[in-house]
Amino acid sequence: MTVTTSGKAGVRAIGSPVRKADGPALLTGRGRFLDDYSLPGTRHAVVVRSELAHARIVDVDVRAAAASPGVVLVLTGEEAAAHAGPIPHFIEPAARGGRHADVRCLATGKVVYAGEPVAAVVAGTRREAEAAAALVRVEYERLPHVLDADAALEQDAPRLYEEWPDNVILHNHYGTGDVDAALAGADLVVSDTIRISRTTTAPIEPRGYLASWDDLDGTLTVYGSLQNPHQLRWMLATSLGLDETAIRVITARVGGSFGLKMQGHPEETLVCLLSKLTGAPVKWIEDRRECFMAGAREQVHRFTIGAMRDGRIVAVRDRIVANTGAVSAQAGWAMPNMSATTLASGYTVPNVRAELHVVVTNKPPLNAARGFGKDSAHFVMERMVDLVARGLGADPAEVRRKNFIPPDRFPYRTATGLNIDSGDYPGLLDKALRVLDYDALRLRQAELRAAGRHLGIGLAFELTPESADGPGSFVSGFDVTTVRMTMTGGVTVYTGVTSPGGGNDTGIAQIVSDELGVPLSWITVVQGDTERCPSGFGNFSGRSMVVGGGSAALAARDVRAKLAVVGARMLDVPVDEVKVADGRLRATGDGRSVPVPEVAAAVLTRAFAIANDVEPVLEATRAYKPGNIDHVPDERGRIQPYPTYSNCLHAAVVEVDPETGVTKLVDFVMAHDCGVIINPALVEGQAHGAIVMGLGAALSERLTYDADGRLTSDRFKTYLMPRAGDLPTIRLEHQVTPSPFTMYGNKGAGEAGVGGAQAAVANAVEDALAPFGVTVREVPLSPPAVLALIDEARTR
Amino acid sequence: MITKNFAYHAPADLHGVVTALSAASGTAVVLGGGTMLVPDMTHGKTVADVVVDLSRAGLSGITLDGGGGPHDGPVADDGVSDGRVADGRVADGRVADGRVADGGVVVVGATTTYAHVLSDPRSRTLAPLLRRVAGGVTGGPQIRNKGTIGGSACYANPSSEVPAALVALGARLRLASAGGTREVAAGDFFTGAFATARRPGEVLAAIALPAPTGPCPGYTKLKLNESSWPIATAACVPGPDGALRVALGAVAATPLLVTLDPPEAGVADPAWRAHVREVVDAALAEPWSDVLADGDYRRRVAPVVAVRAVADALQQAEGES
Repeated sequence: MTVTTSGKAGVRAIGSPVRKADGPALLTGRGRFLDDYSLPGTRHAVVVRSELAHARIVDVDVRAAAASPGVVLVLTGEEAAAHAGPIPHFIEPAARGGRHADVRCLATGKVVYAGEPVAAVVAGTRREAEAAAALVRVEYERLPHVLDADAALEQDAPRLYEEWPDNVILHNHYGTGDVDAALAGADLVVSDTIRISRTTTAPIEPRGYLASWDDLDGTLTVYGSLQNPHQLRWMLATSLGLDETAIRVITARVGGSFGLKMQGHPEETLVCLLSKLTGAPVKWIEDRRECFMAGAREQVHRFTIGAMRDGRIVAVRDRIVANTGAVSAQAGWAMPNMSATTLASGYTVPNVRAELHVVVTNKPPLNAARGFGKDSAHFVMERMVDLVARGLGADPAEVRRKNFIPPDRFPYRTATGLNIDSGDYPGLLDKALRVLDYDALRLRQAELRAAGRHLGIGLAFELTPESADGPGSFVSGFDVTTVRMTMTGGVTVYTGVTSPGGGNDTGIAQIVSDELGVPLSWITVVQGDTERCPSGFGNFSGRSMVVGGGSAALAARDVRAKLAVVGARMLDVPVDEVKVADGRLRATGDGRSVPVPEVAAAVLTRAFAIANDVEPVLEATRAYKPGNIDHVPDERGRIQPYPTYSNCLHAAVVEVDPETGVTKLVDFVMAHDCGVIINPALVEGQAHGAIVMGLGAALSERLTYDADGRLTSDRFKTYLMPRAGDLPTIRLEHQVTPSPFTMYGNKGAGEAGVGGAQAAVANAVEDALAPFGVTVREVPLSPPAVLALIDEARTR
Repeated sequence: MITKNFAYHAPADLHGVVTALSAASGTAVVLGGGTMLVPDMTHGKTVADVVVDLSRAGLSGITLDGGGGPHDGPVADDGVSDGRVADGRVADGRVADGRVADGGVVVVGATTTYAHVLSDPRSRTLAPLLRRVAGGVTGGPQIRNKGTIGGSACYANPSSEVPAALVALGARLRLASAGGTREVAAGDFFTGAFATARRPGEVLAAIALPAPTGPCPGYTKLKLNESSWPIATAACVPGPDGALRVALGAVAATPLLVTLDPPEAGVADPAWRAHVREVVDAALAEPWSDVLADGDYRRRVAPVVAVRAVADALQQAEGES
């Protein structure tokens, strides 16, 4: 993907709400997405999927499909296994103390979820491929299946992976302190259970790949809607047995991802194999029903929290059971890890103990999803804080204030080992309450309550560890950028980070514009191409502006330094007396200037004259490693994988109709601190999206399955995402607490909202229904669920 | 993707439609706006040999048929018409002072879209309830521009709101076939979930509604959120005798018609609300259940929407007087 950004001259680009570089292309229908790519002779693939949740494959009869018009190839799992090995895991569970399972591009032997790929059809058209796919006959021997994680933990539960002793992919303990003693000494102890339903990310564009194998030179070119081209190249090299250098991965413009398009999906290897076997380019586009299979989160938390009469929280214990579905090579299984380590969020809780079981079941796999498990930690933590406030008869705002890490105690090491860089949480609370007009709102609530109406106010704090680094994995805490200037001053930025649609390419161009001193319109950003971009790690964990931006700044500075040397000679002033801005190199003394293109031309065409003894390369490749990452385990064995910790405070106002259970969102405020903001428009766009994702999870979104494990919520009329009419105007307030550990003091942005919005709405619904005495124990709070809450409270 | 080839006809008039249907071999389907049929064919839920598209048959529009005559006009129950309505249109009637003479019949052509209902000013007086229903259809301009009242009636999705609205209005559905045209009362048309009295070879040509004589009916729709199908709807048409005719939609496989006593002491009166609960509960033998909401929830909210529709009807009536 290649984009050019325009901006105003004379204005510092960093901090400006510069419009997205690809906005005009998107708005005029010229954005080139994966399905817009076509190569001569392209064939089309369709995946045949298991109808059963757990079964032995007895026979796959492809004769009728192979004889169907237009069919080029029908591939079974057994045949695929002869040509491709297991797909390496994005995050290998065994390397994290968990259990390994081989995942292949097509099932062999048995299927472990309804929807698992069992065969593939390649035909001249998609229509022919679909028609033929319907003719593939798979004979199964049905096995008992298990969909619920608690049930999967039972001794006699059906076993997904026969070589495992149970269905647990990871079991771990987190935290420090003496929780039992602290709870014994607490004035208030609350225990309860929270269930977080399975949701999905549902990007506007599903996944898709176009692979082209060149038989003459033995090279593979893959176009994809994806987030991590370099990791995918390695993964394909491993599964297909090719040299990494024989593979080129090109990322098309991505129509949203939210973690879904991180690599590890079976179809990545499959489509490449189909191209290799047919000798033709092969395209596969995921359909919406397939896309709905991807789970984003599903957890049960059984917690106990202890507090003193003055509101101080002294201990948190949480037993987490996470349902990760069947094993996938994608990173989804690892998300619940962060649900445990992010406890107890931004609060000074000295005693924290979390026990985590990540459990496999016969549901489709979890895939990485915005929030990456941190969302669930906040949902549960913020419910706990509200239960403490309720138990003490205290204002939930003040209980939060009492327990926040004070602004003067950063960097702060939490009980689970995270080293939070910086923050001003009471400042966020003040901002949110002021925007809300909290005291007046409480009065209004009392008036409405007296009139029989149920207004509720819910608060939630959210801490977002970002820009993760996993030692020995492709979850990398650094990235690499090349900045190259042409003879005429044009600038191309090749970066290892990718944009899933959020617009970090625009932000990176802003950084280069300021650092290099040239207008935005001169700058083109190239992302996602393994042949053009330096080896990097793509997009995840809110890393793109921290490490993509940081490395772009370093590279731009190197190029500028060279311009300064030659430009100073051209102006006949010392090198420390020039500056570059708005495309001109200027003497700081008398203001004489020379256009940057003339300086660039001098470097590159007068290398043996004025640029003599200057290495004539107007190009630099730099890596940026932020501070605060520490993989040396401390005395309690804790590591610190995140440089930055964005944070925010959410306030939701709802009105609940106790006759129907319908919750109406009346107001939503988010006070947000991601440190120094490179582009407020991009940050706000991301925040809006994340909040709405959280609101959907809180109120309406849920993946549902029938008793046989088949997905029943496979369209937008059965998986209910919020629409504009469901949403209030979201009011955002910024607070800037710079990170001491990043290039500009910026922190990762883009994930904050998913967990906080869920928690704020859940707290608001409970507050609205306080006259009934309800306790929220699950999301989504759909109208039937809300009526059930009221019933439960009435009968208690 | 639709993987099977099919024959496609888009006749220029109703005669062509019924001819195409009678000549069809194999499974024939009628394409209205296509908002349900096309996805169903794409997903392989409906497999057709012949598709007869109504879009060029001139069956769109809202008109008033005379007045003074019987509501069901010249067509006998289950009988064969004299041909006057065979084209689905009749001469435009009188609309004076925003009021319609008693006894007129409003004819809504089968392919009248929601967008048409909303943009045609005559719908304010001739079909105010359908106008409200159309105004609440979500899915954006694509759905409102393509989706039709007639198509929704024929699809007979328990969760859609058109069937109950037609029952509330005492609508009659004009079904045309090569053998002629018959009318079926809305109350008899909806025979089950996704099932109607329409026979193979028949096409819905028009919907005949008694011209409204009173204030706009009361209406309430409950959805889980904007994306959701309706979970419960209620349309309340006050009768001349003061009794309240309430049609409940989406709560059972077919629309449910109940008659409620007027709330003498106001809609908040607990005794009257108990009456509503009792009547609705007794009528609701088997509540509809789907992925979005189970039968228990629908049973719970059915009387609530009934009460709200009554309150709305009374408010509308008050506004008129």
